Amino acid sequence: MQLQLGNEVDGVLNLSLVGRLDTPGVDHIETPLTAHLVPRGASVMIDLSQVTFIGSGGIRMFITIARALGRKGSKMVLYGAQPLVAQVFETTSLNQIVPVRSDATAAAAVVHS
Amino acid sequence: MSARRIGIRFPGTHAGFAQGFARLREALDAERLAGTARYNAELVFEEIVANIVSHGARNGREADVCVTLEPRADSIVLIFSDDGVPFDPRGRPDPVIPKTLAEAKIGGFGLMLVRHAASSLDYVRTADDRNRLTVIVPRG
Repeated sequence: MQLQLGNEVDGVLNLSLVGRLDTPGVDHIETPLTAHLVPRGASVMIDLSQVTFIGSGGIRMFITIARALGRKGSKMVLYGAQPLVAQVFETTSLNQIVPVRSDATAAAAVVHS
Repeated sequence: MSARRIGIRFPGTHAGFAQGFARLREALDAERLAGTARYNAELVFEEIVANIVSHGARNGREADVCVTLEPRADSIVLIFSDDGVPFDPRGRPDPVIPKTLAEAKIGGFGLMLVRHAASSLDYVRTADDRNRLTVIVPRG
């Protein structure tokens, strides 16, 4: 699991996750991802198009980070998920409490709304 | 003719989990399992074994975990056997779907995902004091 940092534009971070959000992947990425996002409190768009697997550990991680950002008045939007990853979002109803969009344009519209 | 079975044995630790998952993926590669069935087989392994690693240790001793993979024409059967804390997942309720992020529970999604991926879930505590969970993942 890799974290690829993008540009910060108008106070919105854009980053990509690459690999598997299984237990080893979450163990590897959760601390650096949280440390990068939560202290600065900026809104973030996360590109998931290169994430090939997610389990409940990844769902828990996203809820925890989104909640921490929400307490600072910021938003987290997920976008570009592959169909089987998106299916996990639907099964767990993550997409009902965290914005999940198909592409970067739609995600940006949520962040700036 | 009896069904082919592949056994994967490892300690209920994070390192054991990684070793076991790698061997499962090799077996699924050999089976040429792809798409939704492949994803669901990996998801079931992920959630069940992660639970054993996190909660299965008894008296400070990690669980001994044995996973048996049985490919069938219409399904993949996964049998999880461990000597950890007795745990029957069948009666555990799914988490309540939250209306807001603030009221969302952090955990409880693993078994929900397993139930969604599986067509059948069967549990016994065996005579030799092991959990045995049989999960059937449909191919179609």
